[in-house]
Amino acid sequence: MTAAIVLSLFIFAGSLILIFSEKLHRSITAIAAAVLMVTVGRLLGFYSESAALEAVDANTLGLLLGMMILVAMLEPTGFFQYLAVLAARASHGKPVRLFVLLGSITTVLSMFLDNVTTVVLIAPVTILITEILGLSSLPFLIAEALLSNTGGVATLVGDPPNVLIGSAAGLSFNDFLVHSLPIVAVTWTAALLLLRFLFRRELGRRPRSARAVMRLDPAESLDDPTAARRVLIVLAGAIVFFFLHHALHVSPSFVALAAAAAGLVWVRPDLNEVFRRVEWSVLIFFASLFVMVGGLEAAGVMDATVGLLRGLSGVSPHAFGIGLIWIVALLSAVVDNVPITIALIPVIQGLGESGMNIAPLWWALAFGAGFGGNGTLIGSTTNIIVAALSERTRTPITAGEFNRRGLPVMLLTCAVASLLYAALYASLFAR
Amino acid sequence: MTGKQTEPLTVKSCMKRTVVSIDSTATALDAAALVAKHHIGLLPVVGEAGQLVGVLDVHDLLTLELPDFVKFVSDVDFVHDFGAVETTRPSAAVLSRKVEALMEKPISVDEDAGLLRAYVLMIQRNVHDMPVVSKGGRLIGIISRVDIAAAILKMWHKVEKK
Repeated sequence: MTAAIVLSLFIFAGSLILIFSEKLHRSITAIAAAVLMVTVGRLLGFYSESAALEAVDANTLGLLLGMMILVAMLEPTGFFQYLAVLAARASHGKPVRLFVLLGSITTVLSMFLDNVTTVVLIAPVTILITEILGLSSLPFLIAEALLSNTGGVATLVGDPPNVLIGSAAGLSFNDFLVHSLPIVAVTWTAALLLLRFLFRRELGRRPRSARAVMRLDPAESLDDPTAARRVLIVLAGAIVFFFLHHALHVSPSFVALAAAAAGLVWVRPDLNEVFRRVEWSVLIFFASLFVMVGGLEAAGVMDATVGLLRGLSGVSPHAFGIGLIWIVALLSAVVDNVPITIALIPVIQGLGESGMNIAPLWWALAFGAGFGGNGTLIGSTTNIIVAALSERTRTPITAGEFNRRGLPVMLLTCAVASLLYAALYASLFAR
Repeated sequence: MTGKQTEPLTVKSCMKRTVVSIDSTATALDAAALVAKHHIGLLPVVGEAGQLVGVLDVHDLLTLELPDFVKFVSDVDFVHDFGAVETTRPSAAVLSRKVEALMEKPISVDEDAGLLRAYVLMIQRNVHDMPVVSKGGRLIGIISRVDIAAAILKMWHKVEKK
């Protein structure tokens, strides 16, 4: 029993260290560690192949895959570029207006689509537009990353931790709209105002050629209007069904996969091209983490953890939730929030079995994991992507440049979320 | 066909022998001046002993002015006015960068190489001019796609007459 706990913890902790050190691709580490977990589990008799397969949450993987296929079809149509061009024209080249518009577009897109894909598609056009204006792209790119991370917390499909939490806790799309969206609306606004203040000097500059952006042609920026229209109609349909999925007794993953199927039938894209854009390594990473955490659970690690946490039962539930927001946020600021979320889910479930009201804790976990990623450059993939893209511009984003804005935004969003969490605890979260 | 015609032509027979080249320790600004003065697309870079050590394409110089962010966007049809980018000049620090830091690995041919070998190399590596080197690696000439094409097409004319 103890050998199982020690060895499974050793495999999990070792793989996390490897993942965070970035010595090896995170998916390679995860798949190797998952195999090791099953092997050790079989040798010691605490884990089996079938138990490992059962540990994989098909709902999470299906939802991610379905949304990835839809985005993969939307990507080559130029729709993201089109929105950015519209924003540039609507801004009339005024930096602050452009800043708010691009930040808002990125946020709305990342509420429904993968944050990383959204930023990958919006950031290059942002660089182009700011270069045309003769402005530094740095404030715009940092704001896009931070606001997309923040906005993604609002919905069930907005970011991977939410998909995981929703699936584990049985929370519906509407549950997120009721509990998370209002909090995010306030924290997002606070983040935007803080960023506006932090970049007051850069945004106060007059663009050298404001008129040039008015000559960007939106029609020409949309490469395939027919495909774009069809994918957007399918996506809108999917969102409607996300609202209804609970009432219709279907899972969000069924809605996403059905939408992907409908899109494929209607658009009939080059299938190889679509599948090339799907991020298989992310899906493998998730599946492997599920297998690993399943092993921890089977070895009895979670029960032991819950036993330790029971000592905290004297702590008020408010404080417990707020503490969770901050602990998860601080962890997510320096490491990937997906393994943290996957590892904490069984702990919270264990606390539930021991009689605690865990409904509020799911939201604390979602807020911590979502807002924490803003803290440092390495806190989330979107941050790393904007920094990598900016390296090819005149104003590269260094870790220091990023953290000076990311950390205040993280602290502010977590503080605002904690206040709202405490204020609305009885009326909203504890129910 | 005469015996002379069956003997394959070599690069040496149609290359340009006067080559404008640049020293590897020169600056980007020096390179820009040479390109502007001679209207050439490719600058072979030579070391102290006259050996070919690299090439500097006009594109490499222009990227200093226009960072490669344009490559991020799959097509730029919708951009009708590059605005501030049109008038942005590289900074003094960028212009004083050494040629050896900017140059690319050279794709060159031997003076005795056949014309088709040279032409195929140029097509495969997507270059329009190629330095020609001696056995010892010294830069002795430069050849363009047009030079090769002209030399080959001249032979067609001889066939036609027969």
